[in-house]
Amino acid sequence: MSRLLSADLARLRKSIFFKLCVIGMFLFGIYMKVMDYVSCTQYGFTVSLFSMLTIYMFVLVFMIPAFVSLFVGAEYSDGTIRNKLIIGHTRLSIYLSNLITGVAAALIFTAAYLIAGLAVGIPLCGVSEANYRELVSLFLLSIVTMTAIASLSTLIGMLCQSRAVTAVVNILAVLFLLVMSIYVSARLNEPEYYQSITTMTDDGSIQDVAEEKNPTYLRGTERKVYEFFNEFIPTSQAVAITQGSVSDYSSVARMAGYSAGIAVVSTAVGIFVFRRKDIK
Amino acid sequence: MEYVLTAESLSKQYKNFKALNDFSIHVPKGSIYGFIGKNGAGKTTLIRLVCGLQSPTSGSYALYGVPNTDSGIARSRRRMGAVVETPSIYTDMTAEDNLKEQFRIIGLPSFDDIPVLLDLVGLSDTGKKKAKHFSLGMKQRLGIAIALAGSPDFLILDEPVNGLDPQGIIEMRELILKLNRERGITFLISSHILDELSRLATHYGFIDSGHMIREISAADLDAACRKCVRVQVSDIHALTRVLDEMHMDYNIFSDTMADIFAKVNISQLAIALADQGCDIISVSEREESLESYYVNLIGGGKHNE
Repeated sequence: MSRLLSADLARLRKSIFFKLCVIGMFLFGIYMKVMDYVSCTQYGFTVSLFSMLTIYMFVLVFMIPAFVSLFVGAEYSDGTIRNKLIIGHTRLSIYLSNLITGVAAALIFTAAYLIAGLAVGIPLCGVSEANYRELVSLFLLSIVTMTAIASLSTLIGMLCQSRAVTAVVNILAVLFLLVMSIYVSARLNEPEYYQSITTMTDDGSIQDVAEEKNPTYLRGTERKVYEFFNEFIPTSQAVAITQGSVSDYSSVARMAGYSAGIAVVSTAVGIFVFRRKDIK
Repeated sequence: MEYVLTAESLSKQYKNFKALNDFSIHVPKGSIYGFIGKNGAGKTTLIRLVCGLQSPTSGSYALYGVPNTDSGIARSRRRMGAVVETPSIYTDMTAEDNLKEQFRIIGLPSFDDIPVLLDLVGLSDTGKKKAKHFSLGMKQRLGIAIALAGSPDFLILDEPVNGLDPQGIIEMRELILKLNRERGITFLISSHILDELSRLATHYGFIDSGHMIREISAADLDAACRKCVRVQVSDIHALTRVLDEMHMDYNIFSDTMADIFAKVNISQLAIALADQGCDIISVSEREESLESYYVNLIGGGKHNE
């Protein structure tokens, strides 16, 4: 597989789309840090080097499927997957090599963002105290989440022999998961009670005088199911990473476990089907 | 005879369609094997199976004597190259980068042979031009260069001259002949451009509806297609008697018609037949081509291309 990996990584270096993505992430890192600095100084907040540093994950949720679609899809559209099979490479090696290249690309995109953010952030903000455990947890979680997203995208890319269809399916899948994440998050964030009566006191101030149970508030098993999906869906994890704070480290561990599970299961299914697939 | 590729009772079924049915083939080492059949006959299906792109439904094939069910088939495949349907090239790369990529896939330690390969296929002056801007002929030749990267001794070309202009066809023919003569590479060339194939092939295989109809060497085909005089007479028995007396080769294929494979003196034949009370109805000189041989073999009337 090392030969395939060497060839795929060489192709990665030559890829125009890959170079554009790296440059884009680098510029995005600079932009976010400068805008963070400008808004903090404008409103008198303390500027932190580490704020906005994990926002890259939200961009990668879209960038990884788009990149994998084009990179893996080229194997079919250019027919070059045949060159690999004809000279005797196994389908397992071909699949894994594409997956590893996709994950490597995602890590390089992340590095481009972080290097730019830190290069601009250190001179502007200085190196301040921070919760490094939280930062490292989020960074490690983002790697596992990226791997899960790359695995799902590779699964679709390797099983669908049309690059255009792969790209459309991958982007639609991400949008669907994102809408699902927003819906699940909105349902979980609904208040348990809401104020039903608002009165104005003698001194003119407004006062809520009664609280009423919210009938749509999720309780019991239903809430547990929603909480599970909120941690399970990779796009929900991406949103949590983007927010840049950890309320519960056990939740981060569970999310990482779910993403690792998604990566393993989707890769196993992908390899199983790809090994039996007729290639044109 | 040593064979590079053999197949016995090979079948491939796609849902309700049987692309290959009890198929057999024998490609001799060092030959240029012309694989002939109409569109949809099963030519590309066989090539896909041999290249490992698809698996047979039943039956087996062997590459250099190694059966497809053997784990060593992957090692045998390293000795072959193929251009299946369209050339497999990265269109956003130059010819040189495409070859570098293939060298990495194969695991070749140096790129020293790349200029030689580019020169061999006539692409040494393409520079930084990307493959997407190449003509179809250039793409085909780059596809062949990629297939040659691992120094194979068996090359499969699926419709190599399809869509090429006359100059491209000539260049492709010369390249194939050069590789066959100078490097001893065995070729399996699928095509339905019979005139072109007849200039190259040393052996032929005729496929129809997924079944091998006939395998024949070019020498045997030439003998079968030799020049003859077709005679139509009123009494075929009288004709056979006369031809036997004249010691001539002939082939009777109906109650009134026969092909005579010799230079015939029509006056002498007419007199001899008249003595036997037999009339000559018509005489025509004919030479069977690969095309007419193919049409006779497959049955031109039932084509539905």
